[in-house]
Amino acid sequence: MSRPTNNARMNSWYRSAIALLAVLLLGTGLAQDSVEREGYFEVRSAGTQVVDGVHTLDARLQLVLSSEALAALDSGVTLTIELQMQVIRVKRFLPDSVDAELATRFELEYRPLSQRYIVKNLNSADQDSFATLYSALNSLGRVQGLPVIDDELLLADREYRLRVRAMLNTQQYPASLRLLFFWRGQWQLQSEWYEWLLER
Amino acid sequence: MVVRTLKRIFFTLMGAAGVALVLAALFLLTQTVQRSDDFDRLQDVILAINIAGGFILILILIGNLWRLFHDYRENVPGAKLKARMVGMFVGLAVLPLLVVFYFSIQFINRGIDSWFNVQVEEGLDNALTLSRAAIEFRKRQYLFATNQVAQKLANVPDRQLVYELSMLRRESGASEMTLYGDNNRVLATSSDSATASMPKPLTEEVALQMQQNRPFVSLEPLNSGNAEIRTAVAFAYRFNRSRESRTVQAHFPIDERLGNMISSVENSYSEYQQLVFFREDLKDLLTVTLTFVLLLSLLAAIYGAFVLSRRLVAPIQDLVAGTRAVAMGDFDTKLPTPTRDEIGFLISSFNDMTQRLATARREATMSQALVEAERTNLEVILARLSTGVLALESDLKIRTANQASGSILGVNLENRSGEGIREVAKGMPLLEQFVDIACMHLDAGETEWREQIVLRGEVGRRVLTCACTTLPGDDDKAPGYVIVFDDITALLQAQRDAAWGEVARRLAHEIKNPLTPIQLSAERMRRKYLNTMDAEEAQILDRATHTIVQQVEAMKEMVNAFSDYARAPDMDISRFDIDKLAHEIVDLYRAQESNVEIVLTSDPTIPMVEGDAGRVRQILHNLIRNAVEALEGAPDGRIDVQIGAAEIDGVGMFQIKVEDNGPGFSNGSVSQIFDPYVTTKPKGTGLGLAIVKKLVEEHVGTISAKNRSDGGAMISIRLPLNEAAREMMIAKAPGRADNRRERA
Repeated sequence: MSRPTNNARMNSWYRSAIALLAVLLLGTGLAQDSVEREGYFEVRSAGTQVVDGVHTLDARLQLVLSSEALAALDSGVTLTIELQMQVIRVKRFLPDSVDAELATRFELEYRPLSQRYIVKNLNSADQDSFATLYSALNSLGRVQGLPVIDDELLLADREYRLRVRAMLNTQQYPASLRLLFFWRGQWQLQSEWYEWLLER
Repeated sequence: MVVRTLKRIFFTLMGAAGVALVLAALFLLTQTVQRSDDFDRLQDVILAINIAGGFILILILIGNLWRLFHDYRENVPGAKLKARMVGMFVGLAVLPLLVVFYFSIQFINRGIDSWFNVQVEEGLDNALTLSRAAIEFRKRQYLFATNQVAQKLANVPDRQLVYELSMLRRESGASEMTLYGDNNRVLATSSDSATASMPKPLTEEVALQMQQNRPFVSLEPLNSGNAEIRTAVAFAYRFNRSRESRTVQAHFPIDERLGNMISSVENSYSEYQQLVFFREDLKDLLTVTLTFVLLLSLLAAIYGAFVLSRRLVAPIQDLVAGTRAVAMGDFDTKLPTPTRDEIGFLISSFNDMTQRLATARREATMSQALVEAERTNLEVILARLSTGVLALESDLKIRTANQASGSILGVNLENRSGEGIREVAKGMPLLEQFVDIACMHLDAGETEWREQIVLRGEVGRRVLTCACTTLPGDDDKAPGYVIVFDDITALLQAQRDAAWGEVARRLAHEIKNPLTPIQLSAERMRRKYLNTMDAEEAQILDRATHTIVQQVEAMKEMVNAFSDYARAPDMDISRFDIDKLAHEIVDLYRAQESNVEIVLTSDPTIPMVEGDAGRVRQILHNLIRNAVEALEGAPDGRIDVQIGAAEIDGVGMFQIKVEDNGPGFSNGSVSQIFDPYVTTKPKGTGLGLAIVKKLVEEHVGTISAKNRSDGGAMISIRLPLNEAAREMMIAKAPGRADNRRERA
């Protein structure tokens, strides 16, 4: 029986290292998957209608908080959920341009004394309280008649697209905490853009 | 050099920039870490500065490490010392940093943990529970009041609803009360605020509970920061028997004092819970920050270690390089004096030392140059000397010998320095005899001697006058010897030639004159008395006079020969064909001497030669006649005449070689055969070869004679091919030229 050569030993070592690396990557990937399953934001449907010359948004959002966000909420940490909207002018030959951007932010807060969830619209300062988180998130996910843009601001002979997405905003936290949140996927909750042609 | 300096300045600036960036970042970090707003504003800058500083430091450290590794492997002077110093500095910097880091981490963890106290937590929990209890009491109280209002409103006609609702609100203490009918329709509302807006419809939650006929009560926080208790109760409206379901919703304000307390408890509890929630994050954050600071400090410390070690090692490296340069012989090395410390003193001493060494070397070089010049002069003088000079060590090894010594002793001794003279002399007959005589004296302890010695060689004998003396030796060496010798063979020969010439002249003068009267007298006697005498006497007279005349003729021939020897007419130089001349003479002898075979071998390429054709003809005559006479009586006599040309020591010569297979020269006579009256033939006058030698010397040529190994004699003559060659021969042998001129 021949003794293994140095090259053979090195190859064996490299194979082991690569296998270990693969396991680590796979484990990291699985961990990432599990993180993604724990919380997600999704725009289920969205559309606009013109009311008194103003395009208003009706949308349905699926907001599922991650376990860490839920724990933070239950610990009294206020979560800010932002609804971002972009009005995009369609161009025929050139890249499309974003003509208008606006965002509506909502704060979701748990009050331990009343044991109620408070949803506050930061744009209008309106707030509602809910006995359950489900009710609060359901209320947040139901956007109705949100003014987006005055039709007069849009060019008459151009096509526009509107897109919307929801995200968990962490800007209100200290930057040091944000640095940590940056490395944690559970705080990176953001839906894909939901886009449609603006009807006029 | 300039590039190296610029490179060093660049890397120093880079390092300083890296350290400055790191320090600036750390300063900003310490200034802003407690102020979140500033940190938010500057975090990108701080991060960028930290990354840039760290990146620069890492790049520089990688460069430094690579250079150190390279220097270490290449054994660059000072690299090992530098590596040790860097290791030492890094060790000195890292250990305290790690200790501080460890205790800082421990302090942070324990400090943060100490913020969270079980008692505080329990206290907050209890405060919250107490607040809840207080609120619950109020909630039940207000719910009861709302139920009372609902029961009263159940029988109130619609036209009185507003009034009754207002009255009941005041009675119950509610700030706002609204009555809802079917489909969430507002039937009546009452508020204590004159600017109150329209009441909102019932929320889904309230409506759902109303549908389930469950009362609703909750503590609702307000935008103003206060809170209120909201109650809602559904009831059946019985007044018009329609059994319509109605809902009354009331808002009860919480008094300010209780509200503040509740708010305070709630805020404290929330903040505490937030702290608990972020406790581990805070630990991680501070640990990461501290680690970051530690890493940057570590990088800066390592860079500082490199800078310090480089500064400390640089003078030593200079010193090592300077020492190597001095070892290689570069004494002009001058090192820069960096500081006034011990290393500076060492470098100053080194500079002084190299300066003194340079001065000493310059002086030594000058002395050596002088010695060399003297030696060169001496060598030139020795080379030009016709006297042989042979210097020997005490162990008889050759120290030096000039060219003339080699020429005289028949062996080149110039390049044999260091060799024993006895070994060199082996197989060299002249040198061997010379060494034997010299060693005889030296072995006998005679270091100062003078003697005339005779050396015998194949081409004749050589007479040398030798003088030996001791050489002053070095301190640690025994004295050597120098033997100065001169070949006086030619001188003696010249003296003999001169003497013989004088003899010949006198003989010619003294003898030739009386011969003619003797001959004439004898002939006269013969003529006068021969016819007068009788036959017998006449016969006697005839024989006597005949003998007298014959002998006088013979004496005349001899005297003429002497006259020829003594006579030295001017040379008649012309260009002639030596080959043709040789053929003429050889053919003449072939015709006369039928019993001797004469073979002429001549080089057909031999050019026309310049010389005295008559003298050359006489030379050939004499040589061939000499050989013919030597072969007289020999059965198979053979004479080989060879004519050729050759370049001897850079001088074009033509050679005449005459060999015979006769008896050869007698032993001991080879060296004297060119002297007059030296002959081995019974009938020879002894002047033939002497005349030949004289003619050869007049041509500045050379002649030699020796016996052949297979019997017979050989005479070889070399004469210059042309006038230029003759001049060269004269230049080479001035003594001979003088001799020639003297003869001329």
